[in-house]
Amino acid sequence: MIGVRPRGTPACPLPCPRQQRPPATQQNPFRQRVEIHKLRQGENLILGFSIGGGIDQDPAQNPFSEDKTDKGIYVTRVSEGGPAEVAGLQIGDKIMQVNGWDMTMVTHDQARKRLTKRSEEVVRLLVTRQGLQKAVQQSMLA
Amino acid sequence: MQDRLHILEDLNMLYIRQMALSLEDTELQRKLDHEIRMREGACKLLAACSQREQALEATKSLLVCSSRILSYMGELQRRKEAQVLGRTARRPSDTGPPDERSPCRGTICISDIRIPLMWKDTEYFKNKGDLHRWAVFLLLQLGGNIQDTEMVLVDRTLTDISFQSSVLFTEAGPDFELRLELYGACVEEEGALAGAPRRLATKLSNSLGRSSGRRVRASLESAGGSGGSSAASPILLPTPAVGGPRYHLLAQTTLTLASVQDGFRTHDLTLTSNEESPAWLPLYGSVCCRLAAQPLCMTQPVMSGTLRVQSWGQVHGILKGTNLFCYRHPGEASAQEDPLFTIAINKETRVRAGERDQPRGAPLTLSISNRYGGDEVTHMLQMESRGALQRWMEALWQLFFDMSQWKQCCDELMKIEVPPPRKPPPVLAKQGSLYHEMAIEPLDDIAAVTDILAKREGPPLDVPPPWLALFTEKLSTSKLPIHAPRSPSPPRACPGPRATPWGRPRTLSLDAVPRGRPPLPPRSSSSSSSGSGSPAPRQRSPPGRGFRAKARPWLQSPV
Repeated sequence: MIGVRPRGTPACPLPCPRQQRPPATQQNPFRQRVEIHKLRQGENLILGFSIGGGIDQDPAQNPFSEDKTDKGIYVTRVSEGGPAEVAGLQIGDKIMQVNGWDMTMVTHDQARKRLTKRSEEVVRLLVTRQGLQKAVQQSMLA
Repeated sequence: MQDRLHILEDLNMLYIRQMALSLEDTELQRKLDHEIRMREGACKLLAACSQREQALEATKSLLVCSSRILSYMGELQRRKEAQVLGRTARRPSDTGPPDERSPCRGTICISDIRIPLMWKDTEYFKNKGDLHRWAVFLLLQLGGNIQDTEMVLVDRTLTDISFQSSVLFTEAGPDFELRLELYGACVEEEGALAGAPRRLATKLSNSLGRSSGRRVRASLESAGGSGGSSAASPILLPTPAVGGPRYHLLAQTTLTLASVQDGFRTHDLTLTSNEESPAWLPLYGSVCCRLAAQPLCMTQPVMSGTLRVQSWGQVHGILKGTNLFCYRHPGEASAQEDPLFTIAINKETRVRAGERDQPRGAPLTLSISNRYGGDEVTHMLQMESRGALQRWMEALWQLFFDMSQWKQCCDELMKIEVPPPRKPPPVLAKQGSLYHEMAIEPLDDIAAVTDILAKREGPPLDVPPPWLALFTEKLSTSKLPIHAPRSPSPPRACPGPRATPWGRPRTLSLDAVPRGRPPLPPRSSSSSSSGSGSPAPRQRSPPGRGFRAKARPWLQSPV
């Protein structure tokens, strides 16, 4: 399979050419596509970030959301040098989709499960980034 | 008349007990004693209970116990007879001359029993709202083993009688006869029993519960005053003091090896009651079930030992079912690893001692030939000693004999699930209050949290994340790694595979309306995008959160 990192190799410190982010999707300029190749650590495949949020969680405690009733899934931490950082995921990103699965109306545990499926070595995320949002908004206003 | 009957009954009980004792068959005696005690208990329960359902259950237990007692009695009589005539008790291995083989035993399982009903139009129109109900159950007998299914209530809204329970019989031979008897009782509001002699007859047929019961009743009614002690009269057992609901035999059938199949089959039922009988049910006349058999030769290893196989070397062979599994050494088999190779042993296999064109004084060999399509594959097995060769040959011949006796059961192993012991209906999990959903864990310490994170992620977290300053309350921690041992959790509808130190995500709490918030809409999987393009963000004032903030730390999970 093209694009699959062989198992057991450590995370590459330099961004790999194939993982350069494709241009933002045309439908919605706020969204980014991030492709993360999972890293094998012993028995587990990890992505190297943490998530917070979910429809069963209290959205008021989410430090990253602009709208404090937003129950979406947010990236709360990105481990240094991990697959997520290499792929371009940033702290504060809101995850909209994972491999096509919607993540805007899921529980915390469901979100975690959709990211940690053992059968999947690559996850393609659709994320929204506030900084990007603001930048586009500003560029539109100007 | 009643007194005479009572005396006869008591004498019979005494006779039963004495016979059991005299025969010194402790196993049977113990079983008999157990059933007698159960029966007495059921009688007492029947006398004491007030509810109809209880009475039905108690009468059913009574019937089952009585059947078992009768069956044990029959067995005892046979053994007593044999003893008196000077022969030893018949055991399966003793039958016939020593070189005659007997097939191995097996386990028979009958499950998913369904009996179709055939309601007529009259049933709908004649009652005018009254729902006639019947209580039915099945009595199954194989050899001396009697088992029953659960009692099911049937009315005209059902198209079939379905029994969920599955029944298992062990130690059955391939010549088994599984007798199915369907008993039914009419469940009515009024419990009128007409006349005293009829009452007695009713009680008797309750106790005996079989065609013998009907015969007794008939003989009592016809004979009038005589104690019903004709030659065909069976043993009379003590009757319960009060008359309970009446079970009648509605249908019966006998299943044998020919009916065994790894799948559902329909068999014919012999209907034994007609429309005049009070408990008559419109049965369609067939019964659908799954009758599976597992002969011991398919589930247990028949023979094992060291072999030397041509072109494979020395292996440890285990003969089980339709295969000879060959492992490198015995440890592999117990470790449940895959065998080195497998030789098929089935009805088509040919086994021959020695080799073709064998020179004189040749080693002890066995050849096993199978046909695969057009090719014939032969394996040569070399034994360690003549004794080993004899044992293997014997095991193979026994296996072939078992296969010929158990027929279709030896083609492939039929799956049998051991049914769990029948429990009373489970108590519903308590729908607790919010407090039940809060997990109280000692991991409130942020230092402990950062320690855990440090251990997991490797590089130490010297600086706490910048957003930590935003919060005054303690934050939640990451979840435990996947391979951590599971902590015990309260019984709930949707458990997660990993233990969370902060309690499980509260998917059940969608209905719990928090203070000042509207109720949540039902979750749909095809929800449209949210978040982006939202209106001006609404800031929530921290004081408005109240106790909820403390109770619900915002979960963060590493992925």
